[in-house]
Amino acid sequence: MPSGFSSFSLYYALTDALGNLRDNLVTSLLSALTVAFSLAIFTVFLVVFVNLNNIAATWGERTHVVAYVKEGIKTGPSGTAGWPSGTAGGPPGAANWTEALKKTVEATPGVKDVTFISKEGALAALRAELKGHEGVLEGVAPDILPASFEIILDPSYVNPDGVRSVVERLRAIDGIFAVEYGAEWVERFSSFMRFMEIFTFVIGAFLAAATLFIISNTIRLTVYARRHEIEVMRYLGASGAFIKVPFLVEGMASGVMGGALSLGILFLGRYAAGRHIPQYFIFIIENPFPLWKLSGGLMMAGLLLGGAGSLVSLGRFLKV
Amino acid sequence: MIQFFHVHKNYLDGVPALTDVTLTIEKGEFVFITGPSGAGKSTLLNIIFGSEEPTDGHILIEGRNYLKIPPRELPALRRRIGFIFQDFKLINTKTVFENVALSLKVMGVGPSEARKRVLKALSYVRLQHRANFKPLSLSGGEQQRVAVARALVKEPAILLADEPTGNLDPDMAIEMMELFKEVNSRGTTVIVATHDKGMIEKLSKRTVTLASGRLLIPH
Repeated sequence: MPSGFSSFSLYYALTDALGNLRDNLVTSLLSALTVAFSLAIFTVFLVVFVNLNNIAATWGERTHVVAYVKEGIKTGPSGTAGWPSGTAGGPPGAANWTEALKKTVEATPGVKDVTFISKEGALAALRAELKGHEGVLEGVAPDILPASFEIILDPSYVNPDGVRSVVERLRAIDGIFAVEYGAEWVERFSSFMRFMEIFTFVIGAFLAAATLFIISNTIRLTVYARRHEIEVMRYLGASGAFIKVPFLVEGMASGVMGGALSLGILFLGRYAAGRHIPQYFIFIIENPFPLWKLSGGLMMAGLLLGGAGSLVSLGRFLKV
Repeated sequence: MIQFFHVHKNYLDGVPALTDVTLTIEKGEFVFITGPSGAGKSTLLNIIFGSEEPTDGHILIEGRNYLKIPPRELPALRRRIGFIFQDFKLINTKTVFENVALSLKVMGVGPSEARKRVLKALSYVRLQHRANFKPLSLSGGEQQRVAVARALVKEPAILLADEPTGNLDPDMAIEMMELFKEVNSRGTTVIVATHDKGMIEKLSKRTVTLASGRLLIPH
């Protein structure tokens, strides 16, 4: 503990800070509201970013890579690799070969799940898609379409570099003659997420700077209003810590109040938005965090912002 | 012991406030600093208190070179000095009780102990009944007595008083001086700046006279 700062000094610092908050209620509330709105705005961006990331993880499962099997590989009709050989005219051993190829694909890093689609299975799927216009497929040989593996990627590989690395490895497998994937979609989505990440960071930094500025100016006004009292305290032998700690506590208390208020603003905002945002889009603003973490995090952020704002102000305007 | 060696103090406009002052005040002594207005009495007290620095010379307080005391140690030194300012320096937003208690708060004295000592100090200056009043609702003399209580409540090693009876009626002025004598008898060094000659004669204590910043009658 600094010299001249006893446990009673801490008690006095706390009671003084609370007294000052009470005496400057309007200024303190304005300061707390600034913290509250800044934290609420930042949290909205954070929530949207986290929700999009979560959605991206599930979308990753839908990011299909299709690897086409070379001609001459015969398979069973059901589209399931390993179908007993010979049931649809496939030569003995073909199913084992497909099974082996599937295992090779499955073992490729970044591959989460593999489904084998036989030539017949591919044609059946096409027929289903062309329902009502099946005529266009009349006279088409049943083996016109190539057999393929539909591959679902591990979510950590759903980014341009990740997908490219998996595709390169698949292309190198003997028995695969072509690989298709939604390159453009992956690129776009990845760019969007990068943009969201930077945007959230910039917004956060901007709001933190604005909040620090406002809190430090609020404390500066308080310091100015109490300059005579501070001068008297110095004459009575108050240490720098004794004079500064109440202002620091005052800033932190404003910050914590702001954190609590921001929680209220967020819940009110969620309620209001829920009445105007289409239901299918509401997931984007749902709170992805446990309530205790969100409230604790907001109050801690308020405490740190308030404390930092006070320190900035005290460092610049209170030389004791 | 407080020792001044060839102390000079010039203000920014070049006006000399103190010129070549050499002076020794023993521990536990009672000294009057007297002289006309502008003689340098307040400057001398302010230099002892550390709120003004001399332009030249050396000062030793209890053997320590005062000018070499680091700023962070100044508060601890001030907690040992009670200063009754000419302009009182009371906080108008706080009550009389709170003003006096502030002296003890900065020293880290607990609330219950502080309460006892504040009420005792207020009784010395006959102001218990004004404990919950704000300074601006008191007369000049009462405000001066609050300043006296605030200086005495911390039982200082050194008591500096700048014209402490200027706003008091003669009876109260005598009472305050008796109080200073009593404090002095308990070991506190008391230095009173005043131009109240009647008071000086009545107390018959050592007197140091300043005129235009120079020491006239050093003892």
